[in-house]
Amino acid sequence: MANPESIRDKVAVVGVGACKFGENWDQSPSDMIVDAAYEAYADAGIEAPQQQIDAVFTGSLYSQKGPHECSDALKLWKPVTMVSNYCATGTDAFRCGVLSIAAGVYDTVLVVGYDKPKDRGVSGPSVMLDGVRELPKTPAGWFALCASTYFEKYGAGREDLAKIAVKNHHNGCLAPKSFLKREITTDDYFKARIISWPFGLYDSAAQTDGAAAAVITRADLAGSHRDDPVLVKAVTVQAGPNPQKDPSNDFLSWKPTGWAARDAYAMAGISDPRSEIGVAQLHDCFSLTELLSYEDLGFCEKGSAKEHIADGAFELGGDLPVNTDGGLKTFGHPTGATGVRMIYENTLQLQGRAEKRQVADPKLALSHNIGGHPTACGITILGPS
Amino acid sequence: MAGIRSYGAYVPRTRLPLSMLGERPGKEGGPEKAVAWNDEDAITMAVGAAISCLEGFDRTAIDAVFFASTTHSFREKQAAALIARALDLGRGVRTVDHAGSLRAGTTALRAAFDAVSAGSARNVLVVASDARMAAPGSALEANFGDGAAAFWVSEQDEIACLASHHALADEILDVWRSEGDPFVHSWEDRFVVQEGYVPRICEAVQGLVQQDGGELGDFSRVALYAPDARSHATAARKLGVSSEQLVPPLFGQLGNTGTAFAPMQLALALETTRPGQRILLASYGDGAEALSFEVGDAVSKLEPRRGVRWHLERRRPARSYDAFLKARSLGPSEWDPGSNPGLSATIHFRERDEDLSLRGQRCKACGAVQFPAQRVCETCFNKDDFESVRLSDRIGRVVTYTFDYFFPTPDPPTVVTVTEVDGARIHLQLVNCTPEETRLGMPVEFVFRRIHESGGRPNYYWKGNPVEDGSPVEA
Repeated sequence: MANPESIRDKVAVVGVGACKFGENWDQSPSDMIVDAAYEAYADAGIEAPQQQIDAVFTGSLYSQKGPHECSDALKLWKPVTMVSNYCATGTDAFRCGVLSIAAGVYDTVLVVGYDKPKDRGVSGPSVMLDGVRELPKTPAGWFALCASTYFEKYGAGREDLAKIAVKNHHNGCLAPKSFLKREITTDDYFKARIISWPFGLYDSAAQTDGAAAAVITRADLAGSHRDDPVLVKAVTVQAGPNPQKDPSNDFLSWKPTGWAARDAYAMAGISDPRSEIGVAQLHDCFSLTELLSYEDLGFCEKGSAKEHIADGAFELGGDLPVNTDGGLKTFGHPTGATGVRMIYENTLQLQGRAEKRQVADPKLALSHNIGGHPTACGITILGPS
Repeated sequence: MAGIRSYGAYVPRTRLPLSMLGERPGKEGGPEKAVAWNDEDAITMAVGAAISCLEGFDRTAIDAVFFASTTHSFREKQAAALIARALDLGRGVRTVDHAGSLRAGTTALRAAFDAVSAGSARNVLVVASDARMAAPGSALEANFGDGAAAFWVSEQDEIACLASHHALADEILDVWRSEGDPFVHSWEDRFVVQEGYVPRICEAVQGLVQQDGGELGDFSRVALYAPDARSHATAARKLGVSSEQLVPPLFGQLGNTGTAFAPMQLALALETTRPGQRILLASYGDGAEALSFEVGDAVSKLEPRRGVRWHLERRRPARSYDAFLKARSLGPSEWDPGSNPGLSATIHFRERDEDLSLRGQRCKACGAVQFPAQRVCETCFNKDDFESVRLSDRIGRVVTYTFDYFFPTPDPPTVVTVTEVDGARIHLQLVNCTPEETRLGMPVEFVFRRIHESGGRPNYYWKGNPVEDGSPVEA
């Protein structure tokens, strides 16, 4: 376990930025990195990044070019580290940046997450035929493995997932940089084709291009950048066993989320997440993943999510709004960018800058990524200064 | 005396109604043929037949594998070694491929008797399997079917001993398949039957009867290879085989299974025989040969197994002719499966125990079984202290499932599960199972299948097949 006092309130987010997420046919990874980073610079009042940034932590799942891709785009000849941790890559890059400041190594660090899957020529993730044991290697097929078990035990079904899809489509319409801006109805949900039961088209995140960036600095220096810096309360990444092989997996939750939550809540000093957290960005690669995360993060009891969904608890007007910008589903899921995009949204929420999707009382803001089969979870908790 | 100790057969579950060949809808109850689906081929059918043959026996006794086929995927690279690995027979087995002629099935069988009689092998597993391809729309298409048969040849507990054998060789270009050609070709069918098949198979049968100094009436069962139903009837009539003697050739149900045809006829005869009966088997291809068997008392002690009849009773009509073409890679497709380098041969080699033999390991400290092999125990974290265990002959239980419509297959969706076997969890596709039939906790057996063709090569792994009686799995 991490030392709970090691991170809390020591590091501040002073600038965030994101490029427009979507099918960015006319943008290179460099273009998107520059868009995101320069918006974050402006947000932090940084005018001479070559002097003011001490180090860079970047994350991408698909890039083959290593840390140079980011430093070359920004012409930052600094210590640059590239992080890869499946869909938790963005959160992990942010975590490494936070650790480097908390450790006293650097004062001000740039975090950049990005990915460019739309240059590969396939819609959605490719079916990889590089092995025989884990076929079919489709993420929908992996993440659907909790459905039959969860539905049978708790009586939930696609009608509950539909409400999550409708919510995230609605929220995406309110976020200027989101990919999909289209409301859907429950009828649309049930008419869509099935990808891997119970996941249909509207259960599955939109794989897009995108980049997001954050400038973070020592808490005591934050005031020189902004009047309303956001403080890092907790950040953690947790590895877990391959759920397909794990002999004790009950396929009712994804273990790494529960483990990471315990760690993050201890760091942030949270004892009742449902009342202390006011807004959350959860990893909705598939609708059921969001549903399970409500429970795995302690927002509600295991098995009770469908009742809280029915009550609208996680909608924009609910007591704990989730995926206020549309989430992976409609904002888009450029793998390495997603964790940083969530930090971008939570920062805007905490600073009251989220416009039409602004949550009335964001209190503490949580963001959550899971990655792999899933075999990893990253959680960040931010709070007002 | 060298004889057959056990037998097994395999027929693909999918049947193509012959009406579909005429672009008509499939007709229930009409003539059909068994067709290997996209995850089946000569190798997987051979493994299926062999598993039936070995059922209930200690397979480590097998010291040689003779495989007969004309449709193994590689021109250079042995099939018998792969089959032996899938059956987890150990590296001490002698492996031989018999190929090139439709007669190879009975040739391999005869060679096994020779080896056992000579003492160069004690227990030979003979497997014949074919999935021949006729060009879509050709005259041959309606006759071809796919299947396999396996025999254990030994001097122990023989259910049928080889009594006599008569062979003749001939050079004739009647049916053939050239290097690089996926399809079998034929000269004019009247020539093939009148100058090839009918006179040669009669000559072999009559030669054997004369050689024995007996008559055809001495045989309780007569099993004849034939290219089609009509020539089969012609040969039987010319030989004077009675309808009681004649083993049904299964045209309209199974089809001509090539090198496996005569062996499958023998398996069918053994399924219905009694001690003291005599069986005559004749095969054809570049000549002809006849073999006679005397059925022993042990036949009544052999546990029932999956033979030809068992498989014929289990069928699923193909959805459409188009689905059949896709399953056999005969339709145009946007992506060439050979357009990438495929599985790394080094990784494939390292993982052969897991992928081909479905071997896992048991932790000697805590007893937990895991798959694939790990260095550190997933349960108790003990390091490098495991014993290898075969999982392919165990029964698994479905822990969870999904139906994947995204995975490329001619018949989506693919039923994908996590299946637990002896405590180990395996990510496993199911066969012979629709979404409606899929249940949590359902027991499955393991079947060897083609998993994909990445790199333009067949890549093999195991799938789950629901256990029919749904009997509870032992703890």
